[in-house]
Amino acid sequence: MRLGRFCAALAACLPAVVLATTTPPPLAPEHIGVEKLPARSAHWAYLLDVSWNNYIDERVYVYDGDAGRLLGMMDLGYYGNFAESPDGKTSALAATYWSRGSHGTRTEVLEWIDNQTLKPRGELVLPAKRAQVGAITPFNLAYSADGRFLYSTNLTPTASVSVVDVAKNAAVAEIDTDGCVQAIPSALHRFSAICENGRLLTVTLDETGQEAARALSEPFFDVDADPVFVQAVPTPTGLTFISFLGDVHAVDLSGAAPRFDAVWSVTSGKDRGRWRPGSQQMLAFNAPLHRLYVLMHRGGPGSHKDAASEIWVFDVASHQRVARWPLHVAAHGGAIAVLATRDAQPLLYVATEKSALLVLDARSGRVLHTEAKLGQSLWYMQNP
Amino acid sequence: MQARLDRLMELAARSVARRTSRRGFLGSFAMALTGVAALPLLPVRRGAVAEAAEAPKPAAAAAGGATAKAPPKIVTDPNACEYWKYCAIDGFLCACCGGTSSTCPPGTEPSPITWIGTCQNPNDGRDYLVSYNDCCGKTTCGACTCVRNEGEKPMYRMSLNNDVNWCMTNDNPNYHCSVSVILGVAQQ
Repeated sequence: MRLGRFCAALAACLPAVVLATTTPPPLAPEHIGVEKLPARSAHWAYLLDVSWNNYIDERVYVYDGDAGRLLGMMDLGYYGNFAESPDGKTSALAATYWSRGSHGTRTEVLEWIDNQTLKPRGELVLPAKRAQVGAITPFNLAYSADGRFLYSTNLTPTASVSVVDVAKNAAVAEIDTDGCVQAIPSALHRFSAICENGRLLTVTLDETGQEAARALSEPFFDVDADPVFVQAVPTPTGLTFISFLGDVHAVDLSGAAPRFDAVWSVTSGKDRGRWRPGSQQMLAFNAPLHRLYVLMHRGGPGSHKDAASEIWVFDVASHQRVARWPLHVAAHGGAIAVLATRDAQPLLYVATEKSALLVLDARSGRVLHTEAKLGQSLWYMQNP
Repeated sequence: MQARLDRLMELAARSVARRTSRRGFLGSFAMALTGVAALPLLPVRRGAVAEAAEAPKPAAAAAGGATAKAPPKIVTDPNACEYWKYCAIDGFLCACCGGTSSTCPPGTEPSPITWIGTCQNPNDGRDYLVSYNDCCGKTTCGACTCVRNEGEKPMYRMSLNNDVNWCMTNDNPNYHCSVSVILGVAQQ
């Protein structure tokens, strides 16, 4: 009986004893704070989400492909354009806002975002003529090479380019581009625009940002037979276009006039016309590896915005295809945008129609990280 | 309708003249502001110019499959992306947003400038000129996304491009949805 009472008492004590020996001390009170961005990495990417189902709420995500982690976000408004300053300190965001969300007084504004805090640190109100285009490229809003000027494209539908003097925070000129679109920067203070007849219009500015000269190139593609996508990819000497049928048009903009390399194709034989490049951002380039990455799908005429089922990888020196990477379309949807980082051990970012983001080793195609769903419509990605 | 078509032919002829001048592109868009878009390729069927020559064979024939293939079912639902008038549309179908295939939803405004397509009506075999106006003034509808691009060209050929915001000249250029309005039978 005594023994039984002792055992009962022991049993009652046991949980307290166990609790005392295994439970950690209570958590310390937390203090709310604000994260600071870590040091920039070549493996980061800016991801532009057009928010297709609610277009007035676009945004730019900052993403770390090594960590597989979203680092922060910038608000982008409606039909926004994005550019980063050459020194990496500032993001320029040009977008439309209304005083009542989707209606009310319209403001076209260029906002300067501090890239360390991701907060606006200034703005410039633009005329209500800024180009609102769904084909997002690095050339809708682009810095001059030295960061002195920012070229903001207009469409009313008359096409022009507003030249913004960054230090003065003022639009100093509006250049009529004669129906030619986009502003592809080259040299110090020069930009080129793509024309309806397959030519490049090149405008050179003087020291104050005013037009000093303009020149029209020979046609470098046939608009009717096989047009090029406007979503060209920048290269060290200029940029590379790809056509609806997969012809590669590399353009050297380092000289006084554009120089067009010999055309080569990513499709040949029975593939030509059956496999095509397409979707939103169908080209990526990595200079150290000489690699061109192309989003490809099976399809016929009119399929040029179809999502990709494969990524084809080419050596731009030999023009040979070095890899063909099928995508897990059933799981993630087809690919709509691709971006290679600029370093020699590059990552390849792939965004899909189901809002997934894949981070691949750009040398092997191995998937390093998968975000099953990030945002809504990642139509464009850009290197820091 | 005949008067409207005559007007279109007149505009097309003018556009040819305008394209010969340095300011041709701008001129054609000033013209587009009259209510219908410039028709630089009229009356050629979209996509027929060059891409038809390299069009792939039908999948069954290419794969060595059955030669007698049942004709595709004709889609008659204007809420379906496959509906014939939508052959070059890119956006939300207004028919799913409170409008119809050719009218805007309540409270929105049609865009006065448009891009132009030519779509074949499977019911009568005719090619029709179709004006793809946007409906503007509210944020994106969010229902029935439809992206088809027969004969669509990049934005440097703007009158055949469906990527630019065609609400750009409206008082409120907020894009809501897209309609397809028959302008008339295309000349062969």
